[in-house]
Amino acid sequence: MKKGLVKFKLLATAVLVILIMAGGWPLWQHRHYQVKIILGPGVTEVKKLSDYFPAIEDSLADTRIYILQGKEPGGRALIMGNTHANEPEGLLSVLIMIEKAVVEKGTLYLIPYFNHSGGLNTRPGEGYPLYFSIPTAWGKKTFRMGNRDASPLDQWPDPDVYIHYPEKQMLSYLDIRNTNRTWPGRKNGLPMEQVTYAAMELLRRDQVDLAIDLHGAETMFPVTNCIVAPEKSIRLATLASLTVKSMEGFENHVEPSPVKFRGLSHREIGDYSDTLPFLLESPMPFLDQPTGPKTEKLFLTGQDDFLLSLAKKKKLFVPYDESGWPLEKRIGQHLSVSLEIIRQFSKKSPDRAIIIQNIPRYRDIVQHSVGYYFQNPAEVEPGKIILD
Amino acid sequence: MIYQTIIISAVLVIAYTLAQWRKLSVEISLFLATLAGALAGAIFTTPPLAEIPRHLVEGSFTYLDVILVFFTATLFITIIQESGGINFAVRQTVVGFARFRFLALFLLMIIVLIPGALTGAGSVSLLVVGAPVALALKGLGVDENKIPAILFILAGLAAAAPPVNIWAMILCAGTAIPYVGFELPLGIPVLLLGTATILILGRQKGKKTELNEFLSKIEIVPGMNWWRLLLPFVVFFGLVIAYRLWPFSFPILGLPLEFIIASLAAYLISPVKINLIKVASSTVSKLLPLLSIMVIVGMLQQIMAASGVKGLISYSVLIIPIGLLFCLLPIIIPFSEGILTYGGAAIIGIPLVWYLNSLGYHATIIIAALSLLWPLGDGLPPTALIGRLSLIVSDYEGSYWSSIKKAWLPWAMITVVAILMIIFSSRLSFLVIG
Repeated sequence: MKKGLVKFKLLATAVLVILIMAGGWPLWQHRHYQVKIILGPGVTEVKKLSDYFPAIEDSLADTRIYILQGKEPGGRALIMGNTHANEPEGLLSVLIMIEKAVVEKGTLYLIPYFNHSGGLNTRPGEGYPLYFSIPTAWGKKTFRMGNRDASPLDQWPDPDVYIHYPEKQMLSYLDIRNTNRTWPGRKNGLPMEQVTYAAMELLRRDQVDLAIDLHGAETMFPVTNCIVAPEKSIRLATLASLTVKSMEGFENHVEPSPVKFRGLSHREIGDYSDTLPFLLESPMPFLDQPTGPKTEKLFLTGQDDFLLSLAKKKKLFVPYDESGWPLEKRIGQHLSVSLEIIRQFSKKSPDRAIIIQNIPRYRDIVQHSVGYYFQNPAEVEPGKIILD
Repeated sequence: MIYQTIIISAVLVIAYTLAQWRKLSVEISLFLATLAGALAGAIFTTPPLAEIPRHLVEGSFTYLDVILVFFTATLFITIIQESGGINFAVRQTVVGFARFRFLALFLLMIIVLIPGALTGAGSVSLLVVGAPVALALKGLGVDENKIPAILFILAGLAAAAPPVNIWAMILCAGTAIPYVGFELPLGIPVLLLGTATILILGRQKGKKTELNEFLSKIEIVPGMNWWRLLLPFVVFFGLVIAYRLWPFSFPILGLPLEFIIASLAAYLISPVKINLIKVASSTVSKLLPLLSIMVIVGMLQQIMAASGVKGLISYSVLIIPIGLLFCLLPIIIPFSEGILTYGGAAIIGIPLVWYLNSLGYHATIIIAALSLLWPLGDGLPPTALIGRLSLIVSDYEGSYWSSIKKAWLPWAMITVVAILMIIFSSRLSFLVIG
């Protein structure tokens, strides 16, 4: 080999190694970044999903469950965030509940990182920012931006096609790492099937009455800004939808859960347990394909010129103007609708009522911002902080 | 913001054009265009300069799974080739079916369709059976210039064929439409168009080939027989089918490991000694341009998303008036595949399906029709994945375009069928069963 060629190859290799290190280091840091979760006055116990299914103990499929038990016995509700970790509205809503909620009657189970592995993953090819920060009075609180699916580092290989258990419906191979396609889960299945199996065990064993799965959805997606509910939950969903519209002034229509589309929480939880499931979708412009750069600002404000232009051409499924669809509205909706579902259930079943105080509603969040509800970890006693 | 993304798009295109003008390879040209796009984006901090290395590294992983399948499948077929299996298969097929030419062509079409239909990848069809089928076509007197075109179209149809169609699955996952009822809307056009392709391109014999002369050119390895040839394929398809038959008890191996296991079977029963290291090394060398394209397209997609160019493409499609959109879909859809491979389905396909569905078109039929158009883009630059593989497995030494342009008539037929399916999707909804 010519000397010049050898030199060129060595130089190219050196550049490549530097590029891999410079590009790989932030990805390693992202996977190991931890958020300080502050235990509010209502948190009575912190368990793990593996307490209901020990096979996932010490794995990245396991995740924490924050339990808020009231003084009076009553019904039980589970609320899940980060089923899709690139839709962190759910995570932030659940974290506000962990910090603020006080349960007077019944029990509230809160899972902020339902697909824990997905929260440690990134989305190659989509150009997402690695983090987003929420401004607060004491500084910024920073979170990881995750992926829709679990990381291949935690569950691999994928099959060439995913066959859903137990219905045998064929789905995209990627969906075997999507915890909103693996319900009702499989005891001896892959880690994400075990996550949903463990959650089903929780629902069945603790006789949970309500399960609410918090998501974000594209503005161009017909199933957005809505509550998805199967037949057994649809009456409560409709009452909640009508109430938030009349009392709080925002739309959140009801979509029926399709019977033929398997693996989703709103379908399988209802079919395989006595729990009433609901899936909440708030409009998230960041997820839309026709948007400008995928930046932290787009995630926080939901403002985008392409979407604005498409809205004028009536191609979106939600009202959209220059103000975009800010995080405050999205989280406010999730909190108000969740509370309203629980309130309607409690009215209908007084012996299983769940009474919760101190959770801000839509107007509070829009007025004060999301960051207003996060405490400064520096001012909290260390025993009340969990790194997650 | 719109002007900003237009400027970045222009920089990308100019950088690619300049690199091609300087006669750099497609891979290097695309990489330089990606870098230029990233730097242009950094002027507007989309992405910030310091984040460019992370975006490049992250983007390079976008198609890692596809790359692993390409490598292991090619290793598998190279071992079969080295053991003398391909020559044996060709000789037996040509000798056995030479008198029933149409039947032979039809059987070869089915052989190409099966691996792609089972895995959703036309590349797997070509990598597994492309080389023996190409040789068999030569043996049946098909014009050598038309063989890559036949393989290209059939491999594309194989990828679209049910039960596994990756474009449809991506669209179903992204649009929350169940992946059910695609058997007839995909199966019927694939079989009809495949038969038409093999008749149009394979019916006329090329230069007259004496059967004995052709057979004398095929070297036969002593000891090769049907069971030595078929066992590795039985192992591979056995593993693929076993998961479908017993999805909850059979372990998930993934296509790369299934190909490796089948390769080991082929290696162990080969009648000749095979140097595995040499074969693996030559496989990497043969595939390097293809694999590097996949790595770089991933990087390009990442930079396009981070800079807003990806959104601009999607937006541009959605603002086209509906009548004009139907006229432009035969161009837009294949080119999106040529540039972005499966990324095109997500960027353009998902909003397009929602948009057309809101106008009353039937979503399942739209998805089926679009996924007939996407494989055509696998013959278009800059990636031209299936087109280039067709030439490789056919051992064709002519220019790329001289061969692929022979597919113009089947290409046009597929396009017309797909567009008619979209326009009359509501009337065709009876095909959606399940």
